Amino acid sequence: MLRFVANRLVQLVVICFLISIFAFLLVHLLPGDPAKTILGPNDTPANHAILLKQLGLNKGLVSQYVTWITNIFHGNLGASFLTKETVTSSLSEAVPIDLELVIVSQVLALIVAIPMALVAALRPNRAFDKIATTSTFGMLSLPTFVAGPLLVLLFAVTLKWVPATGFNRLSQGLGPNLKSVILPSVALAIGSVTVYYRLLRADLIATLQEDFVTMARSKGLSTRYILVRHVMRPSSFSLLAGAGISIGTLFTGAFVVEILFQLPGIGYQLVNGIYANDYLVVQGMALVAAVAFVVVNFAVDFLLTILDPRVRRA
Amino acid sequence: MPDSADRYDRRTFLSRGASTAAALGLAGVGLPTLLEGCGSSTKSAPHVSSTPGVSTLTPKRGGSITVGLNSEIDGFLPSASHFDNSGLTYANTIFDTLTVVAADGSAKPYLAQSVTPNSDLTVWTITLRPGVTFHDGSALTADVLKANFDSLQASPLTGPALAGVVESFVKVSDLVVAVNCAEPIVAFPHYLSTQLGYVIGMAQLDSASSTKPIGTGPFSLQSWVPNDHFTAIRNPHYWRPGFPYLDSITYKPIVIDESRENSLKSQTIDMMVSHDPNAIKDLRDSAGFQQVLNPSAGQGDMDFIILNTSVDPTNDIVVRQALAYATNVDELVKLFGAGITQPNRSLFPPGSPYRADDNGYPTYNLAKAKQLVAQAAPNHGGKIELTLATVTDPRLLNEIQAVASMWGLAGIQVTVSTVEQVTFIDNLVTGKYQAYTDEQFGASDPDLNYVWMSPTTASGPIALNFSRNKDDALEAALQKGRTMSDPTERIQAYQEVDKRLAQDLPYLWSNLATWSLTGSTAVMNFNNLTLPDGSRALGFANGVYDPTSTWRSS
Repeated sequence: MLRFVANRLVQLVVICFLISIFAFLLVHLLPGDPAKTILGPNDTPANHAILLKQLGLNKGLVSQYVTWITNIFHGNLGASFLTKETVTSSLSEAVPIDLELVIVSQVLALIVAIPMALVAALRPNRAFDKIATTSTFGMLSLPTFVAGPLLVLLFAVTLKWVPATGFNRLSQGLGPNLKSVILPSVALAIGSVTVYYRLLRADLIATLQEDFVTMARSKGLSTRYILVRHVMRPSSFSLLAGAGISIGTLFTGAFVVEILFQLPGIGYQLVNGIYANDYLVVQGMALVAAVAFVVVNFAVDFLLTILDPRVRRA
Repeated sequence: MPDSADRYDRRTFLSRGASTAAALGLAGVGLPTLLEGCGSSTKSAPHVSSTPGVSTLTPKRGGSITVGLNSEIDGFLPSASHFDNSGLTYANTIFDTLTVVAADGSAKPYLAQSVTPNSDLTVWTITLRPGVTFHDGSALTADVLKANFDSLQASPLTGPALAGVVESFVKVSDLVVAVNCAEPIVAFPHYLSTQLGYVIGMAQLDSASSTKPIGTGPFSLQSWVPNDHFTAIRNPHYWRPGFPYLDSITYKPIVIDESRENSLKSQTIDMMVSHDPNAIKDLRDSAGFQQVLNPSAGQGDMDFIILNTSVDPTNDIVVRQALAYATNVDELVKLFGAGITQPNRSLFPPGSPYRADDNGYPTYNLAKAKQLVAQAAPNHGGKIELTLATVTDPRLLNEIQAVASMWGLAGIQVTVSTVEQVTFIDNLVTGKYQAYTDEQFGASDPDLNYVWMSPTTASGPIALNFSRNKDDALEAALQKGRTMSDPTERIQAYQEVDKRLAQDLPYLWSNLATWSLTGSTAVMNFNNLTLPDGSRALGFANGVYDPTSTWRSS
């Protein structure tokens, strides 16, 4: 187990290193010159040279990378040339939003998907299964940019139960906080429910046909006991792997919802940074989002090895 | 084009350290228009006056409101930050301008006690109000004002806009500064109502901080989280007795019009600014809101297609004429204006004294356009080809596709494209385009647009006159308008400007840009600022709001 974890940690470090190189090279891969972008029409040769020096872009690539990565280890990701706000400060505002969105949306998705999958798997091809499968298929074809406005129209504009936009931090009270996060979380959860339901249902149906389940039934164990103790665990691998990918993706992939609901999370800031060619913001946000994705998936791999020791040997 | 999002003076330059942006902030969206009879509507608001945004009831103190804006700003430093309509709204909250445009269109003293010229209008003397203090307790003095002016003059952002206007600033006494102009500047007080007229505290000047504003304004900064919110609290020592009424005000940048509208309808926010004809119409038709518009009179922003007169084929006047004749403006406004925007064929809107009755601007005539294309084609390799572009906005893309289709009917081969905003601006100022959508020219005095049209700024690698149109007769008329104090002569001069533009065709006019400020009925008196002399300020214009007179009924 320790060896497995050590191996994965080494892989994690290598991947993070590669990510950092890619994020660093973003500025060089993007069309245009960052100094030109910042200076705009004021881009005279003299100003250009001064700014390149200020940004350290007049040095070699390796030297620039070393400076950049060293600064990161000191908590310095640079500052937005637009708002002068440090990227670290922007992240400290954005990360809690994404974390809460991810947690609430995934908890909602799992709360809905797991019971649905259990009921459907116990009685496959019966009425509930057909309704659930059809409705989740419909949900799959409902993109967040459609679901979001519909939710806003119903719950914010018509019923006025929740705000249409904005994020209230926990410091403003749990009620206002949950009110501000519930609609975007539901919008995000819709897609996840579908995926989780389908993955879990398929695995549950397969597991329920295993000999050990027949044996358990023949011993007179209750269905609930069999499901909880014997079936859920071997049926949850695909669900867990799916959740890992989904959670990782949401750190940046939630930008559509963040823009619709005006939530200044990582995705929102990243998109703003890209539009404004605010390259330090883009670099920093992309780095953090990518590392978050890798770390989440590392955690999922780790959980999978606990659930199924065979994974370790794979 | 109706309500172009690619206005130069809004988000465009926000991400740039561009000298050109200076005047954009100065002469663009930030300047109220010379409005007479702003359009407006109120529904289901019996307890407010019949004029939206105006209340005759006794103001109630306290409370707070949240206002949804269409964009975020890049800071609070007038010499370095790019104030679009949201930036100017923030600035009106924290700072004061030396003058404010009154409802009659004149620029009246505000933070200044007086602004008076010498006999030939080459020296303007600004006398400050005594006893005014900044949020940090420091006093407003001539030294601070001069330091502000010097900073603006030295700034690559704002300096170019002052270059042809001001030579030097001289402290006369503790509260008096003299401004020596390069030539007679009739409209000088109007310049002081723009980004050039905000006065910031010495501590902010010294630190050059764009995030910690120190002003004399009705509110002081409490917190600013870019792209999230900006909250300001009441300034208890405000120099205007009794003002402001609110304890605090919060602005939220909500860039998507539909989201902003939903926020207002769901009571997430109390008031919103909009530039989208569909949202404006929808709110106008909804019950429970007060709406102020500035669509129809004065010199508000204009939507148009700008043609580069320095590159092929748009450097050919015959091609430009063909494009103008081929553009069916009425049809465009009908298709995309939602019944809100109005077609326009002049630099000045209907009702403006500067608008020439018959400026000679081409009206839609497809046959004439085809004839001109046939005439010009041999000089351009046998066919007229060009690219018409806009920023990455689906609504604008639809609009230019309609325009391209019209031009195509005339025999012009048009490639439609979208350009990322920052590149779009770069291309405009460096002349690397043929035809772009644009929105500009909102100003309280036409002289404020000098920098955008003058042949003196039309050359070189970077040109503030984006169309690069060089017309000596136009320059003569602009100069006359700038320096002549006789109103009749000024009117003649700017009517001549209108005619020259209709002849040169660097701009294919489309429509008057429309802005709205819509509030719930709980928000009172939000468009009724009175000036120290008792007259009424112009109020909301070109997307700029001043919160000083606003109060909340519940």
